[in-house]
Amino acid sequence: MGVVLRRVSKSYGFFWALREIDLTFNKGDCVALLGPNGAGKTTLLKLLSALLYPTSGEIEVDGQTLKQGNLQARSTVGLLSPDGQIYDKLTAKENLQFFTALSGNNFSPRDLDHALGQVGLSSWSDAYGSSLSHGMKCRLAIAKWSLIEPSLLLLDEPYGVLDGSGVDLLESFLKRLCQKGAIVVMATHNVQRVLALCTRALILNGGKVIFDEPRQEPWKSFHAAFADFLPSEE
Amino acid sequence: MPTSAKGTGKTRKVLGALVFIFVLLGLYWGLLHAPTHPVQLDIQRIMYLHIPSILTAYLAFFIVFVGSCLYLWKGERRDDILANSAAEIGVLLTAVTIITGILWGKKTWFSPGDWWTWDARLTLTALLLLIFVGYLMLRALIEDERRGAVCGAVLGIIGFLDIPLIHMAVHWFQTLHQAPSILQTEKAPWENIPPDWLVPLSINFIAFILLFFYLLSLRLHVGEIEEEIKKLKLYGRA
Amino acid sequence: MNILRQTYWLLWKDVLLEIRRRESLLSMFFFGTILLFLFHFSFEIPRDKTAAMAPGLLWLAFIFTGTLALTQLFQDEKESQCLDALLLCPMDRGALYLAKVLFNFLIMMLVELVIFPLFGILFNLDLWNLLPSLFGVALLGTLGFCVLGTLFSALTLRARAKELLLPLILFPLMIPSILGAIRAMQIIFGAGNSEELFQWIRMLIVFDVIFMTVGFLIFEWVIEE
Repeated sequence: MGVVLRRVSKSYGFFWALREIDLTFNKGDCVALLGPNGAGKTTLLKLLSALLYPTSGEIEVDGQTLKQGNLQARSTVGLLSPDGQIYDKLTAKENLQFFTALSGNNFSPRDLDHALGQVGLSSWSDAYGSSLSHGMKCRLAIAKWSLIEPSLLLLDEPYGVLDGSGVDLLESFLKRLCQKGAIVVMATHNVQRVLALCTRALILNGGKVIFDEPRQEPWKSFHAAFADFLPSEE
Repeated sequence: MPTSAKGTGKTRKVLGALVFIFVLLGLYWGLLHAPTHPVQLDIQRIMYLHIPSILTAYLAFFIVFVGSCLYLWKGERRDDILANSAAEIGVLLTAVTIITGILWGKKTWFSPGDWWTWDARLTLTALLLLIFVGYLMLRALIEDERRGAVCGAVLGIIGFLDIPLIHMAVHWFQTLHQAPSILQTEKAPWENIPPDWLVPLSINFIAFILLFFYLLSLRLHVGEIEEEIKKLKLYGRA
Repeated sequence: MNILRQTYWLLWKDVLLEIRRRESLLSMFFFGTILLFLFHFSFEIPRDKTAAMAPGLLWLAFIFTGTLALTQLFQDEKESQCLDALLLCPMDRGALYLAKVLFNFLIMMLVELVIFPLFGILFNLDLWNLLPSLFGVALLGTLGFCVLGTLFSALTLRARAKELLLPLILFPLMIPSILGAIRAMQIIFGAGNSEELFQWIRMLIVFDVIFMTVGFLIFEWVIEE
């Protein structure tokens, strides 16, 4: 399992959100994706999940180029979005059943109940999506991706909506996933938490990678780079 | 600037000069030199505008189809610009066709006082105009460049595939349904053209085709410049 | 086989959501009924002309109500980001197309099932014997509408003013199917011969088959960003 980006650029009209990015993610990487607003973090996640396609350059997942029609490459990519991606008038359990079935998995009702129990939603399994809070929706998303077990999981700012136990749940799930050899890429502004979790940090600014290092203790170079573009943070 | 760009610039200028010559020649021959129609008199000279413009419009819409297919297949932005520009020129030419057709028809074969008749050919041309005006609207209302290109390509292909069906349906509707006296479909007003008119018609046709390709090359050039600007922005300041 | 299973799940979801929300079906039904009243006021149809005008009026009503449904077809899913979640699934995009076509077809047919008899009652038109053959034609015409409409609903999804844009690009291209359905129904009401009827039915079938195939193949480009 590996993800390779070769000179990937993405433009919106005349604006370049990403500029010729070269990156390689390896098995077991847990990557913190940091950077100011508008640095291109979300665009990068969308490109990796093939919800967008690059303007130029290519992305390979497991040796397969992500492009229209390549379902095999896509079957291994997940995007955990904290809000939404839940049908309002399907119950939590039906949502879970629907999305796992479309991902090609066939789970028994007991499996689904178990997964819901794991994220603390047992008593909400028959509640409509619309009656779930943001935090519960996020927990439901965790249940969904823990059943599907993607080999590349992308997260877009998941910390904001989760309570303390939810954060623990998420982090243990991510650690488990990485131990199994999956790649996790998390975009967030919660630097403290993600630094404790990640094995590698990436900083994007102006559509370019300005920092990319594996984690070390103490991590002076990271703090120097981070302070550079966000003086108020450090 | 690479030399190839200079080369195409030169070709474009030559093409422009040719357009100028042929349009002048076509106008002179069609409006002054060609013999006057025995019955329709001078109004018949509108033919030298009417027929070349609709034939060139067909060519334009065919190029929309080709460009659309190429774009979906290869994803080259150039093909999309080709399709989009051809559609713009095609709409212009179709509008010219309809206006000249109405002016001509009003003096010759419409019922006296009418500005419109639901003749199959006229209706079809109007539908063609509506379809490709829809295409241009779609392009204008989608901001994202790639998205607009893809949607335009799909509409370009569907529209092209649909035209034969619309053609058949409208013809059947007119022939099977309405009283045959209204019909003019069997014989076009410009059939049985004597050779005296064929020469100016051909010259005007060539002029229109050249004009079409000239306008197209200008639009493609604008597209190239846009790409150039984008590249500069990519490598420019961070 | 896989694609049928995916289509089944997607359709299951749409039907379940519609049963629980009751949005599209009810609003379409009432809109159709209101249109019938408007037709009465605009045309004051005389009794002897009702049969001749019925096909055109009915079809106009279906096209307007159908357009109402089409603009909603992907809207909710786009806003709730469920569309992203669907696209993340490794499913055939054609399955999504088929499911949406079938769903739209289903609710339009349900509306027609009510509007046809209602038209007969409101305008005192004796169409009860003709209903089966009328529904046969309506089936083909509605399928044509859904086949192209679903594709264009997805096409205009990320455009500005999409509710206006959709009919603008859809209606001119629908002409073969609209003409076919209206003429075929007029012939069933007694204005024309059976030879012409079959000609129009062939047109409807050809239209359905061509654009179902094209839509199925091309949908991937249309739905993905």
